[in-house]
Amino acid sequence: MLRRFLCAAFLLSTVLCSSAMAAEKIVVATNPTWPPMEFLDDNKQIIGYDIDMIKAVAAEAGMEAEVIMTAWDGIFAGVAAGNYDVIASGVTITPERQRAFAFTVPYYDVQQIVVVRKGDSASGFEALKGRVIGGQIGTTGVFVAQKSGVPMTIREYDDVGLAMQDLLNGRIEAVICDSPVALYYANQKEGFTDHLSVAFRTEATESFGFVVQKNRKDLVERLNKGIEAVRAKGIEAELIRKWMGE
Amino acid sequence: MRDNEENSLPAGIAPEGKIEVPAGGLVLPDSEKGNLVNAWSLSLVGAVAVLTVLCTVWPDPYLDILRFVPEGLLVTFEVTVLSIICAIPLGLLTGLGRLSHNRVINLIASTYVEVIRGIPLLVQIFYIYYALAKFLQVSGLTSAVIAISFCYGAYMGEVFRAGIMAIPKGQTEASRSLGFNKVQTMIFVVLPQALRTIVPPVGNECIAMLKDTSLVSVMAMPDLMQYGRSFAAKSYLYFETYTIIALIYLIITLLLSKAVSILESRLNYYDKRK
Repeated sequence: MLRRFLCAAFLLSTVLCSSAMAAEKIVVATNPTWPPMEFLDDNKQIIGYDIDMIKAVAAEAGMEAEVIMTAWDGIFAGVAAGNYDVIASGVTITPERQRAFAFTVPYYDVQQIVVVRKGDSASGFEALKGRVIGGQIGTTGVFVAQKSGVPMTIREYDDVGLAMQDLLNGRIEAVICDSPVALYYANQKEGFTDHLSVAFRTEATESFGFVVQKNRKDLVERLNKGIEAVRAKGIEAELIRKWMGE
Repeated sequence: MRDNEENSLPAGIAPEGKIEVPAGGLVLPDSEKGNLVNAWSLSLVGAVAVLTVLCTVWPDPYLDILRFVPEGLLVTFEVTVLSIICAIPLGLLTGLGRLSHNRVINLIASTYVEVIRGIPLLVQIFYIYYALAKFLQVSGLTSAVIAISFCYGAYMGEVFRAGIMAIPKGQTEASRSLGFNKVQTMIFVVLPQALRTIVPPVGNECIAMLKDTSLVSVMAMPDLMQYGRSFAAKSYLYFETYTIIALIYLIITLLLSKAVSILESRLNYYDKRK
């Protein structure tokens, strides 16, 4: 028994050492339910703006990014536990999150957009008073709706796609989410564009950042340098054209 | 998760055997009485103590979490109670259908059990809420009650069947020879006796049902689990939040299991010496 244990410990340490020596690989977690930032294509590959961005940033920083899929609910717990190095999943930098995690410099700015069914309208949160609004659990859209102080029912779905589906089904009257996602559903996504329209967008701008464990300042530094390089080389502008359209 | 339907048959036969013990026979000590330290009281006291200590020593996250979730508890109870009310009659009908000599009824009941048992509850919930929405719009609460009671109706059907089968054939024969018809025999002779066998496993199913209502949070139903997830998603205090949620579920489940065991001992009055 003891021998087996020692054997396992030895093997484990060699594996850990060799991966530490390679060191150029970082594991990036994403929740691919947030088109066009990150989503699954027809071949079940994770694609999107964030994915291309983190790969380019990592490459500029001399690392290789391996992207893995994870659920949004618990994505932060995973980075805190060290299951992966980075979250690249359209994460807004908020003071609450900054207390718990380290962020890179902002790499993309968004607003919150409220989407309603075609024919319906709302000029602001006041117009949604007493109505039912949906969003993805733990996203800033839900937080913004909660902080608006307008009495409305907020339903928190596991992913924004389910909320959009329920909006189509007529069980809820509005969905709030980041502007690229809302515009994707309202303007591009087949089966949704004909039925949905943008009601209003919030004035406050939010910035996306890559999330890293609180104590890994070195990795934040490297990623920040990578973002700088990606911007300087014009890769960022190219990616924005590729994923966001006009 | 669900292997108790196999167990319920032998468990059901055991009390029948006990009736044969002569009046002067050895009476087993009642494990519940005169024995303060048992697994149940240890768990309950432990859970309540941990909850109290956490909330008094670190009120900052823990008491806040405890204050945040009670509305979710109401939804959890609502779903559980409504599902129990629907699932028990459904289970009884299924159990009787499985025992029916009418081939069509038997086939319908058996197919229902086979199909429902073969689909995970989470998938059933998604199916009723999101997939069927194309044809039929039902609210979150209705979907939850339909999904859970359909699922547990199938499990309970097997419990009812086992309980009824555990009643010796002689009972039916005696009743029939006294002039009762089949329905009267079932209602006045077989079911009252089978109830003693059926109640404990059905009670267990109800407790399992309460725990499984945590799955309805996928429909954005604001139950206890959803409130917990919502709090954790906002505060990033995963350990603290889910500790409280787990303790609340544990305390409720322990209280329910006590209620079931009290009910069980009330029904087993034949086995006791007065």
